[in-house]
Amino acid sequence: MAERTVLFKGIRGGLKIYIDPDAPFNQIRTELIEKIRNSKQFFEGSTVNLHFSGKKLDSEEQKEILECAVREIDIGTVEFNEEAGNSPSVDLDGSFDGIEEGMTKFIRGTVRNGQRVFYEGNVVVLGDVNPGGEVIAGGNILVLGILRGLAHAGATGNRQAIVAALSLQPTQLRIADIITRSPEGENSKPAYPEIAYIKGSDLVIEPYLPGKGK
Amino acid sequence: MGEVIVVTSGKGGVGKTTTTANIGTALALEGKSVVLVDADIGLRNLDVVMGLENRIVYDLVDVVEGVCRLKQALIKDKRFEGLYLLPAAQTKDKNAVSPDQMQKLCETLKEQFDYVIIDCPAGIEQGFKNAIAGAEKAIVVTTPEVSAVRDADRIIGLLSANELFDVRLIINRLRIDMVKRGDMMNVDDTIDILGIDLLGVVPDDENIVISTNRGEPVVMEQGSMAGKAYKNIAKRILGENVPLMNLETEETFMEKLLKLFGKNKKRTY
Repeated sequence: MAERTVLFKGIRGGLKIYIDPDAPFNQIRTELIEKIRNSKQFFEGSTVNLHFSGKKLDSEEQKEILECAVREIDIGTVEFNEEAGNSPSVDLDGSFDGIEEGMTKFIRGTVRNGQRVFYEGNVVVLGDVNPGGEVIAGGNILVLGILRGLAHAGATGNRQAIVAALSLQPTQLRIADIITRSPEGENSKPAYPEIAYIKGSDLVIEPYLPGKGK
Repeated sequence: MGEVIVVTSGKGGVGKTTTTANIGTALALEGKSVVLVDADIGLRNLDVVMGLENRIVYDLVDVVEGVCRLKQALIKDKRFEGLYLLPAAQTKDKNAVSPDQMQKLCETLKEQFDYVIIDCPAGIEQGFKNAIAGAEKAIVVTTPEVSAVRDADRIIGLLSANELFDVRLIINRLRIDMVKRGDMMNVDDTIDILGIDLLGVVPDDENIVISTNRGEPVVMEQGSMAGKAYKNIAKRILGENVPLMNLETEETFMEKLLKLFGKNKKRTY
């Protein structure tokens, strides 16, 4: 697998894009477009402000990137910032890896039909997620209620993310790139909390027993 | 100063217009002054259900455009003291009015009536936005069916997003026989998902079809369970604590037998 050369960091109303100073432009461009395409759904209906840092791009290169990007998303303001000051020193993998310890958003109340929670970190819903409601998180998703809608954990690519609920009855369950739905004909509602995670290449669901420890 | 209540649902055909007509009439029968506002521009029905369609000269759009004075458009229902109707326009569509215009209209109506009840069109677009613009309270009507409940949930979410938090639920067209067989959602299942206070339950009643065709609100029909339910709802709106009606009609022989043996627990609504 090719080394990542572009790091996306979602910020309020936009994206911080750090470009590896040593990477060749072609690779950067390809990866950038791919990442923008993958993140498109998060920016539906809003303009995105782009802040570039890292590798210094000349005006031709900048233009090219913007031309490609504008085909995918609605661009707001653009900044090409040359300092390497805010470059993260660790890995350039774009997915959220704070699933053991990381930023978490708490939603108080029920996520209703037509409502969409998107957060790059973990999400805890203190309520239900009704059918038609969507929770999309870069990290884990915990629902302290009945999950009847859609949950997508590890949405930016982290397959270690989990989904857990007091009652797991989702219309669809997704972790990273794996999409599943409940087996046909299964109408019985679980009477106990369950946890869903990826084991190998399958999405498995187990009863959540406190103290079991994974 | 009156109250502005919008009757909405998301899903079409669940009983918003019937509910508006009957709650309005029942409140008027309790001595309140009520104006019913039909916000379903282009597909107006409230006038038909109330039996007032051949008295329409001016409508809501005329008022908002300044073609006539409000008083000229208001139709006084001669059967019920204190009940008026502001009909919708039929030859225009929902873009003929803006939320701001609706809000101003509601503010004017509030000063003249105890209750302003707005019949919201189905959907979540311009018609809905107009209808909720002037409202401070909402009644969400749903039937006990999965698609209606989904849409009701969406609507409740949209109402909160528009700062309308005083929202109560009416479950309409409940069929107690189907609920008992397990073929229809019961009241608890519905409230479980929607999570708002219950204002009332109206049973499915043939009388509604009959009265609607006659242009008479079903509250006028003494023998109608639905009529009674609407009257109870009106009382609850006025602050009275009315218990939910027992919707069961006749016991089957089997039920009588089981009751004899103390095994049949009668479910009251």
